[in-house]
Amino acid sequence: MLCTNAFDQEGFLRKLSDWEPQVAEQIARAEGLELTCAHWEILHLLRDYYREYDASPAMRPLVKYCALQLGADKGRSIYLMSLFPGSPAKLGSKIAGLPKPDNCL
Amino acid sequence: MGAVDKKSVLVVVRRSPYGSSLARASLDVALAAAAFEQPLRLLFMGDGVLQLLAKQESEAIGVKNIGRLLTSLPLYDIERVYVDAAAATRYGIDLSNAPVTTQALDGPGIHQLMTDCDHVLGF
Amino acid sequence: MIYSLLVLSCPTSGNCTQTAAAFAQCVIARGHSIHRVFFLDAGTYTGAAAAVFPQDEADRIKPWLELAQQHAVELILCISSALKRGMLDQSEARRYEKQASTVHPAFTISGLGQLVDACANSDRLITFGG
Repeated sequence: MLCTNAFDQEGFLRKLSDWEPQVAEQIARAEGLELTCAHWEILHLLRDYYREYDASPAMRPLVKYCALQLGADKGRSIYLMSLFPGSPAKLGSKIAGLPKPDNCL
Repeated sequence: MGAVDKKSVLVVVRRSPYGSSLARASLDVALAAAAFEQPLRLLFMGDGVLQLLAKQESEAIGVKNIGRLLTSLPLYDIERVYVDAAAATRYGIDLSNAPVTTQALDGPGIHQLMTDCDHVLGF
Repeated sequence: MIYSLLVLSCPTSGNCTQTAAAFAQCVIARGHSIHRVFFLDAGTYTGAAAAVFPQDEADRIKPWLELAQQHAVELILCISSALKRGMLDQSEARRYEKQASTVHPAFTISGLGQLVDACANSDRLITFGG
């Protein structure tokens, strides 16, 4: 369990190197989410995206990336929103320990 | 943004990838336009063709890797970018190894591309 | 005609921002309208609330304040450019736990979506500086 100082005011990790799966669970709990296998599939995908493109995804490329990696059923914004309500790219990035997406996108 | 008229935008990139913050800023503009489904084209000219070098490594200077960002362009439905052929030759850039599919243009081709777009944003 | 401006250069770097402000004044004087002025990259320094200029030099920020006050011109600073340069309004200063806000209230911090919107809703988009 990380102390509250480890997170900024929006709940993003201050130091990305602090992330590990238990931290993801902690962040998710703080967001009122319980992580299932379906969540983890997307969280791993988000981390893959970040490793591959050196950027946190915006919604549109995330949906397309999901479609390419996981198929058309999961590559839909409605599916992602069912797992990460509100802003899946932003909420998913937070739980996956990625940098906050630039507000610009 | 609700339903808006679409105006086509050409983003002209003339900065080397790691020498100026404008290099990244120009790509962020392109990605934003694409994310909002505005018709968008990218043209690399002058020093900007250096952004198309393969195997960029930027970790040591603590900035985001532009080469890797460029490989994500197809996820924004930008399947290819335009390149000033003369600049690519001058800098010895092997376009077949570029992070994104390219189409090299000569002078008249560049002129036509600029004429075809509603707005040209030069960085 | 509807114009938008994109300003890329720092106000103290050359003449670009002065030219941009003068251009905006001319656009309005000729009966056209300015949809938005978007400041990106080093252009975001234009929003500095505490910039001080010597008495015998031009105040680089004042022409923009006049455009905002007299003609309700919308002045937008790109958020990611602004944050890196220490340009924070009150809400961002609170969010990032910084001691003070540094942006003049005539300027608004927002995202690149505003620039994209400016492209879609303007007849002409003119870039200054870079």
